[in-house]
Amino acid sequence: MVVGSLKLWTDLVVEGFQKSLRVGKFLCLLHAIDTYVCTPVLPYGPSMLPTLNSTGDLVLVERVSTWLGKVGRGDMVLLRSSEDPRKTLIKRIVGVEGDTVTYLVDPKYSDASRTCVVPWGNVWVQGDYIYNSRDSRTFGAVSYGLVEGKLFWRQIWPLKSFGSLHGKAKEDS
Amino acid sequence: MNLFGNAVPWRSIAKEALERTAIVTRFLCLLHVTNTYICTPTLVYGPSMLPTLNLTGDVLLAERVSHRLGKVRPGDVVLVRSPVDPRKSLTKRVVAMGGDKVTFVVDPRNSDRVRTITVPRGHVWIQGDNIYASRDSRQFGAVPYGLVEGKILCRCILMCIVASIVCIKRTPCSPMQVWPLDGFGLLHH
Repeated sequence: MVVGSLKLWTDLVVEGFQKSLRVGKFLCLLHAIDTYVCTPVLPYGPSMLPTLNSTGDLVLVERVSTWLGKVGRGDMVLLRSSEDPRKTLIKRIVGVEGDTVTYLVDPKYSDASRTCVVPWGNVWVQGDYIYNSRDSRTFGAVSYGLVEGKLFWRQIWPLKSFGSLHGKAKEDS
Repeated sequence: MNLFGNAVPWRSIAKEALERTAIVTRFLCLLHVTNTYICTPTLVYGPSMLPTLNLTGDVLLAERVSHRLGKVRPGDVVLVRSPVDPRKSLTKRVVAMGGDKVTFVVDPRNSDRVRTITVPRGHVWIQGDNIYASRDSRQFGAVPYGLVEGKILCRCILMCIVASIVCIKRTPCSPMQVWPLDGFGLLHH
């Protein structure tokens, strides 16, 4: 009697293990694609207006171009923050190594502009909404090693427009 | 099978080849994942970490867990992606973390001038042990923590012997360059 139920248990355990192995393998595959091919990102913040909304956007970031070094001026990139390594930012590359960059230091309050040369191995990133963006104008040129991916699909759908049409009339003000 | 005669079983050969390839690919994937997320051997050479590390090459074991948990402290030897050439990796010692003040000799070969700098938040200050022949934070400034790729655990002495036999081309140069051995055992930039 005991031996019978023991066999049942071992069968269950083995089956559970096999199923979780499959799930594990699938998650590994997802992670590999995420890290090496392409990953979805939910950005938030006003620094890339009007290109990206403050909230509610979903973008796709591909990781192949950074490896091949095919990231250049005008590209929107995902980069690890040089001030806080736990954060990632989305900004636009304005200048690559060797470029001379002229920028407005603080456009909200003054017209002062500064010019500098981007050092080798670095890129100059700026947010599209320069009035409210912490970017290279604040923390300087960013090492290329911190660039993690390039945005290639800006908007799959704006998530805030999803949902019932009932409230939509109120939203469109 | 009809085209090539009855003797050679092409289909089963192809099937077996595919299976073998799948096994090899899975093994390489496992190796790659281990190298990226757990630990990896690296071959380092150059004069900037004398006398700790050899001029003509050492095989070191670099672990890739601590830096993700933020457990990098002053005194650790770390693997860092170069801030001036993103295709190179450097091996240097962490001297100060973000927020610390660091005092260093700017150019010990030519003068005794000393400078003190506060390391910005989110950055680390790295220096080679051989300050006379090392390109490090004294030249290119504090390095963002995001560029730290691993912490050196130990030296594989047996592998050093093997490496010195197998790898013939070695030119001492500064900065200290690292050629990470990826899962395929190849040396590449």
